[in-house]
Amino acid sequence: MRVVIAEDSVLLREGLTQLLGTNGLEVVGSCATADDLLLKVRSYSPDVVIVDIRLPPTHNDEGLRAALEIRAHHPDVGVLVLSQYVEVGLAMKLLADSAEGAGYLLKDRISDVEEFIAAVERVATGGSAIDPIIVSTLLTRQREDDPLAALTRREREVLELMAEGRSNQGIADKLVLSLRAVEKYVSSIFGKLGLPSSGRDSRRVLAVLLYLRS
Amino acid sequence: MAMPETVSATASVAPWSGPDPGRRRRTTWPQWGLWLMALAAAAGAVATTVANEGLNGLETPNGLKFLVGLAFAGSGLYAWGRRPDNRLGPLMAAVGCLYLLAQILVQAHAAALFTAGVWLSDAWVVVFVAFLLAFPDGRVTERFDLVVIGMFALMAFPLELAWLLFWTTGGSPENTLAAWPNDTVAGNIDSAQRALVVVASVVLAIALARRWALASPPLRRALVPILVGAVAILLGSVLVALDKFQIEFPTARWAVFAAYVAIPLVVLGGILRSRLARSTVGDLFVELRADPSPAELRDALARTLRDPSLSLAYWLPQFRSWSDLDGRPVEMPTDGGGRATTMVDRQGEHVAALIHDPALADEPELLDAVSAAAGIAIENGRLHVELRARLEELRGSRSRIIEAGQKERQRLERNLHDGAQQRLIALSLELSLLEQELGPDADAGLRLSQARREIATSLGELREVARGLHPAVVTGHGLAVALEQLTARAPVPVRLTVAIDERLPEQVEVAAYYLVSESLVNTAKHARATSVSVDVSRTNDQAVVEVVDDGIGGADTEHGTGLRGLADRVEALGGRLRVWSPSGGGTRVRAEIPCAS
Repeated sequence: MRVVIAEDSVLLREGLTQLLGTNGLEVVGSCATADDLLLKVRSYSPDVVIVDIRLPPTHNDEGLRAALEIRAHHPDVGVLVLSQYVEVGLAMKLLADSAEGAGYLLKDRISDVEEFIAAVERVATGGSAIDPIIVSTLLTRQREDDPLAALTRREREVLELMAEGRSNQGIADKLVLSLRAVEKYVSSIFGKLGLPSSGRDSRRVLAVLLYLRS
Repeated sequence: MAMPETVSATASVAPWSGPDPGRRRRTTWPQWGLWLMALAAAAGAVATTVANEGLNGLETPNGLKFLVGLAFAGSGLYAWGRRPDNRLGPLMAAVGCLYLLAQILVQAHAAALFTAGVWLSDAWVVVFVAFLLAFPDGRVTERFDLVVIGMFALMAFPLELAWLLFWTTGGSPENTLAAWPNDTVAGNIDSAQRALVVVASVVLAIALARRWALASPPLRRALVPILVGAVAILLGSVLVALDKFQIEFPTARWAVFAAYVAIPLVVLGGILRSRLARSTVGDLFVELRADPSPAELRDALARTLRDPSLSLAYWLPQFRSWSDLDGRPVEMPTDGGGRATTMVDRQGEHVAALIHDPALADEPELLDAVSAAAGIAIENGRLHVELRARLEELRGSRSRIIEAGQKERQRLERNLHDGAQQRLIALSLELSLLEQELGPDADAGLRLSQARREIATSLGELREVARGLHPAVVTGHGLAVALEQLTARAPVPVRLTVAIDERLPEQVEVAAYYLVSESLVNTAKHARATSVSVDVSRTNDQAVVEVVDDGIGGADTEHGTGLRGLADRVEALGGRLRVWSPSGGGTRVRAEIPCAS
C-alpha cells in the first residue's frame, strides 16, 4: 500500500513515515507543501495521501484545498486529512457528496497506532474514517425533537461506529459482538431513523452524517 | 499634515486684518484735482466742438470723443477713490486724463500747445494697453507684456516725434516742431506707425485671448471687457490703417467708439460688484440664523462668494493641523497651485481658512465681509469638526487596539499550534512506537500507554486554550464553516442560516464569530431558552448578524454579560450592536458591520 505524506512539521513527518513503515505501509513520498503534494500524487499515484489541513504559506486552508483537488481529480486516491482541530463544518466540506476514500481525523489519533493504521487502510481502499469527536458532536447535538431518543444505548454505539466509517465486521470486533448481531442493530437503526439502508459502508457514513447534521 | 507656520507662509493672500476706514473710501486732493481737470476738459471739448461745428458736430464719433475720455477718467477716479489698493483705478484715470488732455491741446490755437497735443495724441493708447495687460491685479510682470507695451510706446512717442519733425499743418496753428518739412518723409513715417500698430494689436489680441483661454471660470467672466478692449484696439488700428487708403467704415468706427466708452464702465462695475455683492452678505446672515451644519455653511459661503469651488478648512489647535468638514486632515494649497487661501482669524488666532479661486482675492472687501458675517458660524463649525476629529481619532485608536490584540492572540495561537501541540503529538507518536517495539505484554508498555493518555488530555486542554485565543477555523475556512461547529456544540438547539457565499474581511468574520459565540453562551447561561436562531446575511455593504432566543429576556446589557466587549469590537469596525431583551420576550442581539467589498 503506497502512501504520500504532506506535513510541514519535520518531527511529525519523520514520525509518521517511521510509523507507517514499521506497520507494512510504503511511504513513497513526503513533503511540506500543498503544491509538492499535488506533484507527488501525479507522479507516484499512491493509494492514499495523508495531509495536514494547515500547510504553508498562509497555514489557512491550503491543505484542505489540496485534499479537495485530489478528491476531484484523482478519485481513486484516498485522502486522509489530519488536523489539530476537527470541526463539523470542515468534515462536511471535505466529504461534500461522498465519503468514499475520505478521512478526517484529529492529529492526536496517530499515536493510537492500531486504530490509525486501520483508518489509513480503510481510506486507501475506498472506505472512510471520520473522527469520533465529529460523530459525537453530531450525536449529542441538541435538537428540538430528538429522533435519536428512540435508539437504545447499544444502537447508539453502533450508530456512532458506523458514522466513523467502520464496517459491520469492524463494529463487531470493537463491541465484541457477532456479525449477525451488528447487522440486526444496523437494520433496526435504519428503520427507526427512517433511513434507506444502503450497501457500501462509506455510503452509509454520509447518509448518517447528513442525517445527524440536519 | 500641514503645520500652521508653513500654511501662513504659503497662503497666497495675506491674513486679512479687517477694513481700515481711514485709508479707504476717501477721495484725496490729487483725485479731486483730476476730477476737476477731467470735467473741465470734457466741457472744453464739447464747447470747442460746438463753437467750431455747431451742435451737429456732436453727432459724429469725433465730436463725441470726449465721452471716451470722460468714461475712462470718471470710472478710473471713482474706482481709485473706492478701492485705493486696486491699481486698475489709477490706470483707467490715466487713460482718460491723457485722452482728454490731448483732445484739449489739439483744439488750442497756440502753436506750441497744439503741437504738444498732437505729439501726445496717442499716449493714452499706451496706457490703455498697459491697463489691458495689467488686468486684473493692476501689475504687468511678464517680459512679453512689457514688449507689447513697448511696441505701442515706440509708435506713440519717438516715431510720433520723428513724424512731427517733417510734418506741416499747412495753416494755423502751426507745427512748431517741423524742422524739415517734407510730406513724403512724413507720409512714410505715418505709414510705418500705422503698420506697427496693426502688428502690435494682433500680438496683444493673441496674448489676451490666450490669457482668457487659460483662466478659471470666475476670472473668465471678469476678463470679458479686456477681450473686448483688445478687439477694439485691433479693429481701431485696422481702421486707421485703411484710412490711409481713403477706405472708411463708419459703422465700425461707431462700434470701436462704443467699446471704448463701455470698457471702463464695465470694469468699474466689476470692481464695484464686490461692493454690491456685499448686499448678498445680508442673505448670508439670514442663512446663518438657521445654525447651519459645516456642509451647509460651506454652501452658503460658496453662494455668497459666487465661487462653487470654495472649500472650508478648519484649524484644530489641539491637533496642530487643518481639517476638512469631516474632521479629516487636509493639505493646504501651496503657492502657484491655482488656489488661494484666506484666513479667518478670531482674537489673533486662526479659526478657519477659505480655499477659493484666486480671482476672488481681488475682492478683499467681500471676503472680509463674508468672513466677518460667518465668524460665529465658522467658529461653531470648527468646534463641530474638532469633535468629529476627536471621534475619528478615538475610533481609530479603538480599532487599532482591538486589532493589535487580535493580531497578538492570533500569533499566540499559531505558536501553540506549531510549537507545543506539534511537539506533544510527536512525543505521543514516539511513545507509541516504543510501545510497539516493547510488545503487548511488557509492564513498561502499560506505563507508556498511560503516559500517552496523559498527553492526549494535555492536547485536549491545549486545543481549548488555542481555540479561546483565536478561532483559527474562521481565518482558515470562513464564518459559515466555523459557525457550524459552534452551533452543533451549543447546549440549546440552534437553527443556523448563513446567507453569505463569499468570504468577508477577516476582522468582520472574527467579530461575527465572537458575537455568535458569546450570545450562545449568554443564552445557555441566562435565557432558559428552548431554541435559538442564528442568522448571518449581507445587505448592501453590511454584514448583519442576528441571534434570537425564545428565553426569558431581561438581559442586562450594561454589566458583565460580555456584550460590552462585543459592542466595542463591532463599533471599532464602524458597525453597531443592538440588544432587545424585554422581560419575558426573549433576547435579540443584532450587529450590523460595514464590509466594503
